[in-house]
Amino acid sequence: MKSVLVVDDSSTFRQLLCMSLSRVEGISASDITEASDGQEALEKIKEKKFDLVLTDIRMPRMDGLELVRQVRGDIGKDELPIVIISTKGSEDEVEIGLSVGANGYLSKPISMAKLREMVASLLH
Amino acid sequence: MEEKPEEILSLFSKSEELLEMFRKGKAFTEELMYENERLRFRIVHLEKEKMDLSATLMREVERLKLESTQLSQKLEFIDGRFQEIEAENKDFAMRYVEVEEQNESLANLYVASYRLHSTLDPSEVVECVKEILMNMIGSEEFGLYVVDEEMNELVLAGYEGEIAQKLEGGRVRFGEGLEGMVAESGMPFFTEDTGEGGEVCACIPLKIKDRVVGVIAIYRLLSHKTGLTALDHKLIELLAGHAATALVSSKLYAVADRKLKTIEGFMNLLRVR
Repeated sequence: MKSVLVVDDSSTFRQLLCMSLSRVEGISASDITEASDGQEALEKIKEKKFDLVLTDIRMPRMDGLELVRQVRGDIGKDELPIVIISTKGSEDEVEIGLSVGANGYLSKPISMAKLREMVASLLH
Repeated sequence: MEEKPEEILSLFSKSEELLEMFRKGKAFTEELMYENERLRFRIVHLEKEKMDLSATLMREVERLKLESTQLSQKLEFIDGRFQEIEAENKDFAMRYVEVEEQNESLANLYVASYRLHSTLDPSEVVECVKEILMNMIGSEEFGLYVVDEEMNELVLAGYEGEIAQKLEGGRVRFGEGLEGMVAESGMPFFTEDTGEGGEVCACIPLKIKDRVVGVIAIYRLLSHKTGLTALDHKLIELLAGHAATALVSSKLYAVADRKLKTIEGFMNLLRVR
C-alpha cells in the first residue's frame, strides 16, 4: 500500500481529495495523511516515509512552494513525487511550481479523473 | 540337279535360323500384344480413375465452394457482430465517462453538504461556503451576504477579492444592485461570460423554502476557468439550499447557546445566594 500526504488549509478540499485518492489502486483511506499547512506537512515528512505528496500553494505558516523547496533542498528527498494543486493556474505560475521541483501541477477546481490518472502514473 | 550335302546343311541351318527368328518374332509380337493389352487395360483403368478423381474433385470443389460461401457468411456475420460490439463498447466507454462524471459530481456534492452541516459555528459555515466557492467552483472574487431582516439589508458575511472595499459598510439594501434585486426577487442570476472586469457572473439567493436568508454573488472566476460547468451549477444549487439551512441553524444554535449560558449563569448566581 502507498502512503499519501494531502496538504491543504481547506478541510473541505482535503476531504474531497482523500475521497478521490482512496479510489486509486494501491491507496486505502487509512494510508492518507492530512496536513493543513506546509510547516505541519514538513514535520510529517520528516517523521514518516510517504510515496506521494499533494499540496496546495496558498496556505498559512508555510506555503506549498516553500514546502517543495525544503523537501528538495533541506530534507533532500529528490525522489519523493510532489503534485501541486492550486487555484493559481496561469502558465507562469505552473512553470514556477514545476521549477521549484514539483512533479506535477493541477489547477483548482480539479478533475478528479485527471488527479487519479496523475497519481497512478507517479505511484506505479 | 544334285545339291551338295554341305549346301543342304547350310540351307537347313539357315532355315533353322530363320525359323528361330520367326519364333522370336512371334514371341516378341505376343509380348507386344500382351503389353499392348495391358496398357490398354491400364489406360481404361486410368481413365476410369481419372473420371472418378474428376468426380471427386468436382465434389470437393463444390464442397469447398459451399464451405467458402458459409465461411463468407460467417465472416460477414462476425464482422457485423464485431462492429456491433465495437459500437456497444464505445457506448459503454461513453457511459463509463458519464458515470465517472456523475460519481465525481456526487463526491463533490457529498463533501460539500457534509462539510456544510458538520458544524454549528456560523463562522465555520461561512468558511466552508468560501472553501466550496474557491476550491470546488473556482471563484476568484465573490461575496456571501446574509439578510438583516430588521434593516431589510444584505450584510457581507464572507468574501474573497476586493468586494469589501467596493461596498460601503459591507451592506446592500434590498432591491439595490444585483445582489439586492436577487434577494428581493428570490430568483438566481447567471451570465454566460466569466465576469471579466468585475462583472457578476452568478448571483444566487440562499433560500429556506421561499424565505431568502442570504445571497452568494460570484464576481469573477479563476483566470484559467472559462465558465461555469454543469457540476458548478449543481454545486451552486446545493449551496443555495444547504448553505441557507446551515447558516440559519448555526445562527439559531449560537443564539440558543448564548441564551442557555446566560440562564445557566443566572441560575448559578441564584444558587450561590
